[in-house]
Amino acid sequence: MIGEGIKSTNQRKHSYVQDRVEVGFFTDPSVCIGCKACEVACKEWNQVPDDGFTWSGNSYDNTGHLGASTWRHVMFLEQDRQKGNQVTGPMGLGNADSEDPFRWVFLSDVCKHCEEAGCLEACPTGSIVRTEVGSVLVQNDVCNGCGYCVVSCPFGVIDRRPEPLHDAGGAFKCTFCYDRQKSGLVPACAKVCPTESIVFGRLDDLRVRASERVKHLQQSGYSDAQLYDPTETSVRGIHAFFLILGEPEAYGLPPRPQVPTIYLKSAWMSAFATAIASIIATLLAFAFFS
Amino acid sequence: MTGNTPSEKRLEELREQAWKDGVVPGKGVDVAGGPIPHKPGYYGQAVVKPPVWTWQVPLYFFFGGIAGMSAVLASGAVLFHHVDLARAAMWIAAIAGAILSPILLIMDLGRPRLFLNMLRVFKHRSAMSMGAWILSLFGACVVPGLVALELHSHHILAGTLGQLIRIAAGLLIFGSAIFGTLLATYTGVLLGATAIPAWFLHRTLLPIHFGTAGLGSAAGLLELLGHRISALNVIGFYAAAVESALLIWLSVNKHGAADRAIHEHGTGWLIRIGEILNGPLAIVLRFFGLVPFAAIAFLLGALVSRVGWIMVGKVSGSDPEAVFASQR
Amino acid sequence: MAEAHPVGFRWVMKAKERGATIIHVDPRFSRTSALADIWVPMRAGGDIAFLGGLVRHIIENNLFFRDYVVPFTNASCILREDFRDTEEGATGFFSGWNERERTYDKKTWAYHGDGGLSFPERDLTLQHPRCVFQTLRRHFVRYTPEMVEKICGISPALFHKVADALVAASGPDKTAAICYALGWTQHSKGVQIIRTASILQLLLGNIGRPGGGIMALRGHASIQGSTDIPTLYDILPGYISMPKGDGTEETLRDYLAHQTKPTGLWNNYPNYFISLLKAYYGKNATAENDFGYNWVPKITGNHSFFEYLYDMADGKMEGMFMMGQNPAVAAANSRFQRTSLSKLKWLVVREMVEIEAATFWRSDAPEIERGELKTEDIETEVFLFPAAGHAEKEGAFTQTQRMLQWRQKAVDPPGDARSEGWFMHQLALRLIAKAKQSNDTLDEPLRALDWWYPEDELGEPQMESVLAEINGWSTNPQPGADGVVFGGVDREGNSHHGPQVDGFGKLKADGSTASGCWIYSGVLGPDKINKANSRNSKNYLGHGWGFVWPADRRIIYNRASAKPTGEPWSERKKLVWWDPAQRKWDGIDVPDFVPDKSPEFRPSGNESGLDAIPGDAPFMLHEDGLGWLYVPSGLQDGPMPTHYEPLESPVKNALYSRDTNPVVNWFTRQENRFAPPGDTRFPFVLTTYRLTEHHTAGGMSRFLSHLAELQPELFAEMSPELAVELKIKNGDYISIVSLRGAIESRALVSRRMRPVHLNGKTVHQIAMPFHFGTAGPVKGGSTNDLVPISGEPNVTIMEAKALACNIVPGRLPRGPAYEEWIKKYIPQGGPPNLHPEQPPPGASPGPEAGGHGQHGKTDSR
Ligand SMILES: Nc1nc2c(c(=O)[nH]1)N[C@H]1C(S)=C(S)[C@@H](COP(=O)(O)OP(=O)(O)OC[C@H]3O[C@@H](n4cnc5c(=O)[nH]c(N)nc54)[C@H](O)[C@@H]3O)O[C@H]1N2
Ligand SMILES: Nc1nc2c(c(=O)[nH]1)N[C@H]1C(S)=C(S)[C@@H](COP(=O)(O)OP(=O)(O)OC[C@H]3O[C@@H](n4cnc5c(=O)[nH]c(N)nc54)[C@H](O)[C@@H]3O)O[C@H]1N2
Ligand code: SF4
Ligand code: SF4
Ligand code: SF4
Ligand code: SF4
Ligand code: SF4
Ligand SMILES: [Mo]
Repeated sequence: MIGEGIKSTNQRKHSYVQDRVEVGFFTDPSVCIGCKACEVACKEWNQVPDDGFTWSGNSYDNTGHLGASTWRHVMFLEQDRQKGNQVTGPMGLGNADSEDPFRWVFLSDVCKHCEEAGCLEACPTGSIVRTEVGSVLVQNDVCNGCGYCVVSCPFGVIDRRPEPLHDAGGAFKCTFCYDRQKSGLVPACAKVCPTESIVFGRLDDLRVRASERVKHLQQSGYSDAQLYDPTETSVRGIHAFFLILGEPEAYGLPPRPQVPTIYLKSAWMSAFATAIASIIATLLAFAFFS
Repeated sequence: MTGNTPSEKRLEELREQAWKDGVVPGKGVDVAGGPIPHKPGYYGQAVVKPPVWTWQVPLYFFFGGIAGMSAVLASGAVLFHHVDLARAAMWIAAIAGAILSPILLIMDLGRPRLFLNMLRVFKHRSAMSMGAWILSLFGACVVPGLVALELHSHHILAGTLGQLIRIAAGLLIFGSAIFGTLLATYTGVLLGATAIPAWFLHRTLLPIHFGTAGLGSAAGLLELLGHRISALNVIGFYAAAVESALLIWLSVNKHGAADRAIHEHGTGWLIRIGEILNGPLAIVLRFFGLVPFAAIAFLLGALVSRVGWIMVGKVSGSDPEAVFASQR
Repeated sequence: MAEAHPVGFRWVMKAKERGATIIHVDPRFSRTSALADIWVPMRAGGDIAFLGGLVRHIIENNLFFRDYVVPFTNASCILREDFRDTEEGATGFFSGWNERERTYDKKTWAYHGDGGLSFPERDLTLQHPRCVFQTLRRHFVRYTPEMVEKICGISPALFHKVADALVAASGPDKTAAICYALGWTQHSKGVQIIRTASILQLLLGNIGRPGGGIMALRGHASIQGSTDIPTLYDILPGYISMPKGDGTEETLRDYLAHQTKPTGLWNNYPNYFISLLKAYYGKNATAENDFGYNWVPKITGNHSFFEYLYDMADGKMEGMFMMGQNPAVAAANSRFQRTSLSKLKWLVVREMVEIEAATFWRSDAPEIERGELKTEDIETEVFLFPAAGHAEKEGAFTQTQRMLQWRQKAVDPPGDARSEGWFMHQLALRLIAKAKQSNDTLDEPLRALDWWYPEDELGEPQMESVLAEINGWSTNPQPGADGVVFGGVDREGNSHHGPQVDGFGKLKADGSTASGCWIYSGVLGPDKINKANSRNSKNYLGHGWGFVWPADRRIIYNRASAKPTGEPWSERKKLVWWDPAQRKWDGIDVPDFVPDKSPEFRPSGNESGLDAIPGDAPFMLHEDGLGWLYVPSGLQDGPMPTHYEPLESPVKNALYSRDTNPVVNWFTRQENRFAPPGDTRFPFVLTTYRLTEHHTAGGMSRFLSHLAELQPELFAEMSPELAVELKIKNGDYISIVSLRGAIESRALVSRRMRPVHLNGKTVHQIAMPFHFGTAGPVKGGSTNDLVPISGEPNVTIMEAKALACNIVPGRLPRGPAYEEWIKKYIPQGGPPNLHPEQPPPGASPGPEAGGHGQHGKTDSR
């Protein structure tokens, strides 16, 4: 609950790493005020370089998307829908001279720390590992920048950092503040979130809390509130999951993400077939046409 | 940095125009709802990340394919006593597979100095890891294989030692052949098992295409080097035939927005040209006995389509609607 | 609030989660609106009409909290026969207007009868035609929902939604709070907007009760502190008035006679003032020399920031110290600010980064770029000192709730960077030393200063020693006695002060006590505990965390949380109450009342001080102890709020023949012209605001890449309707022009901006942040180049929230080409007073503001 102070799981010290407890993020746009403190705290703590001063014209979002130098990204959606029972001036008043409804939604996006992580599976160097708390971690000193994780993430999160930025060439993404967690600290982004839109805590607790929250919101007028946690696809759920208002597409989230490893079987099959066919063709050719 | 719409470049034009005549017609920035989207997606941002790979990768695919399949041809050649052909093939395999390919692969890394980390782990669920091992093992067979073959064919060693060399050469060449086929085909798996719609939707086609393109290229290259035997010509026919079949398959098996990168824009053309060069055109040229031209056409086609598929990945990966379409 | 006070806003969100209804009144749909239950868009500058409409709604429909209003407020007080309201003839003038002086003679605004402010005649039935209640009723009777729509563009449907929500949330077991900031203050009538809110809250019984009140969301981290211990020209610490130099306050006696109120808390004025003088001059302040009253500077006029800016421009000002300020970007008419700075001989800037105010002479400054000024012609010598940031020094911040919170030093400042404390301290030591050499009488005040503060190894004065002096102590040294801090000795080790005093109640006018700021007294008392530094709250009011002046009272006027008879209005909203057994006031909060004054107590009429306050009159700071629905004394522009149009407005005043606030200071000057009402050359309303991502002039954000990248460019928010009308597309470059100048920005088109429809006329509003300038990694035009200087009559704040502008699609030409371009859009030459109600140059500027004093404790930063 907002303003619990140091009692909140977002503030108090913990020993999840030592106790090997699965942790996660539950992010809730219905209380996010779009202050971007999470974005800034992340960059400050992790010393992520700024990646350019470009004004986008996309509402208040000048960050754009997650990437090698953006591990938290606050989205700003301007939609012609109503948020709960909100009254927004002349818009959506529902009377004669009423205009189309309007709402402004903020959501803080982050690496999903997938149950089945495409990036982790794809990594040929073993640079990407699963930590004690179930998060997915890139070991910067091992990564050789092959770039395969980039195309293997179904959420387009991880990316290779381009020159001339500091530490270029390697792949980067949210570390779930593993360094902080090891010493019992809360991830920087959750720590600074003024309204606890980002909730950090035990994965099992969060899942309960989230489903209750969705119920509560739906009862209080947010008819399009739903959880975004693809448990039914091959990704088998994400540890940083979201409550969203409306469709996943609007947030640039894939509606049914799949971990690419499910494509391996059929691909290898046709590879072997091709291999064998080539050998046979060659032998036959030499056998009958020499 | 935001890869957003309107792009900075587009805005520069708009400003100039706005400054000139006060009005800016045309698409790119949308006044009427302001930033309210009319398409699904978040300000047109990519949902998955396009590949970061540059020119080295298609070249690697090209040479890897030639190298791998040359080893296959080499083994065929030794079996049926075309020693010179075998030697030429093994030379190609070694140069393309044990020198060019690794160099290209390393050049493509973000941190080349750490390329050895590729062999830190063996992960059968990572095509990239498998590829690294396949390439290494191929190299481990093809180089000694070539040496053994040369020693044998120049009768430098006699007696039992000569016999042993002969057997070793045989085994190593067959070894190279086995890893060679994988080297030529795994690249298809590499692209097929990703989150890029246009790639994973054609994951069964890609290995066939890359492998066969490799075979045809290897044969063509040998022919250009003067080895004009009918076996190679037949293989040339076979490869071109398969590629023509794939061309048809590709044009039949469409997925709408999900794989439009293959059929639309520049990337579409790259794929088409590539397939036509090493499919129908190659057949026709061979049919009229213009073997060298057929070989050249096929090699060109193989290269163009490799480039094509990487470009397709970039386009498809940057296209949010492709991702959404592929999941509906 | 979500935008500018994001961390504080968490409590609003918590309230919302617990069922509170959040209403946001703002021309823009901001991050706050996005989280509110009701967003009420309005035309900038319409707030008095809107709030007045609510007042009318509550009075006419008998929805006010009668049991609270009748005893606790001055609703029942009878006014003079000769008082005339703005309504009579709808002139917009109250009685007492003096056209030549452009001020009011406020005699007629007082209470009827000879009880003065202290013992007014009252009619508790509220029937008397001249009682405040009836007068107020008549004053607002024309502020109907239809009128609100005409002026603000708020539909009656929406108006009633708000009214119903507000009324539903008020009563014996409910309270509603109002938060405001610059959306209300930065207007030519800012103080009166807040007054209207006070009227509303008093009528609803929402003052002095938990969950009620009116909260000013303040600005810079300790801006509240900088009015308590002022950085203002017209007051001394603790809202003590600056002595006047006009002869009326020549002697201490005159001054005290003038300032001391017969009744109420301010009756103790001498205790506070003499103790302040003792803090200034220590032993040198004696009864014989009037405690050094003659050493205190006297003010000779309005020395507000803008006044001395004009002196600067006219070369009447030699030099200037600039600490923690960047007027070249943040001050109204920043273009004029920059050119004025170039007239200085010397300028000391203490900064953490090289801001525009220190680089106005350089090639990247617009004036230089445009060739209006030449670097080689500028004689100003700029001294840029490295300043220590807030994490690099210790001290106390006083926040919005009047709470002092101590701040530890995290790291030593880098290199030569030092705190303001260090700078002032070292400067003082050197000046005092010099003064001691001279025998010039002008140096006497310096010689007399009691500069005792101990230092740390960096030469920084020990901040707790300053806090100790602020709290106050007994002036006669008692070495070793308990309650003595810092050994009771000065820098030389001579005995200096006695035990700490325990709250301002202990301060005396006989020189036996000293206190640097009476309202803070109690923060570091005899227990020697720095309460600003205490960090464990014991209850939901946070007692035990920090120190809230006065006397750690969390909710001021909290006597109002109990019925006249002394028991709480309701169990749910109980805060303080009268304990008949103990015969004293008790409660969760520190009672804001004379501890043992029974609710039944009634004064006879000849008491003085607090003894004159009845047992059921919670507002002790006022002579009559009542909450003032009507302000009989203290305001320059009228006893009741009246809707005037902004100085620059697209429309005429729908309520009165007078358009603008009569007593406003226009600061008329060629460089500072105003557009007349409905000027078609400037058809759009411009309002300015801040972004969460930046801080004011940007010194603390534009220079930090992690913040700068979040909002890298200046933009103007506009509705799609306006964009289409002007053929502007989202992201285009546009130029915004006002009579002061022009700047370039990007167009951010969004439905978060809505056109308003006023009486059939469609008015478009645009909104721009003001964080950008020409220094640092991200650059942009300074919005304040468009904003005129003006002075609200009570506190001299500029109208930065409602102006007139024009929009020209396309980029603004740079360099000399600008001159040609601007000529096309703003008239050259002509008189400086283009607005019909604007006085010509040389006319009286209007009243001397000075409203920061004990009367209108108002500050707008
Ligand atoms: N992130 C951040 N926080 C800050 C600051 C900062 O620069 N950045 N500055 C600090 C300082 S110094 C201060 S003083 C405070 C100021 O805090 P705020 O007063 O909240 O800041 P503003 O954005 O200037 O104004 C608030 C709102 O008033 C609206 N407004 C404009 N005109 C009108 C009007 O006529 N009526 C009404 N009802 N609303 C109107 C604006 O659209 C804006 O949304 O913030 C402090 N906090
Ligand atoms: N159009 C328009 N104009 C406005 C406003 C508006 O809403 N609209 N808001 C007005 C308001 S409310 C305010 S408060 C002003 C603010 O206007 P200013 O106070 O002039 O602007 P700031 O950027 O806050 O200046 C503070 C400077 O102090 C520096 N600084 C920070 N800490 C320290 C320190 O410890 N020591 C020293 N020496 N320097 C330090 C910072 O780097 C910064 O440059 O702007 C006003 N101007
Ligand atoms: S810090 Fe919290 S409230 Fe602020 S943007 Fe991030 S998630 Fe939203
Ligand atoms: S979201 Fe992408 S980067 Fe993050 S864990 Fe899943 S696959 Fe890896
Ligand atoms: S880029 Fe680095 S992290 Fe990503 S797959 Fe390659 S080695 Fe692993
Ligand atoms: S968990 Fe740490 S790394 Fe991940 S987004 Fe939050 S702050 Fe950044
Ligand atoms: S900057 Fe300080 S005062 Fe302002 S919101 Fe943040 S914490 Fe509160
Ligand atoms: Mo401020």
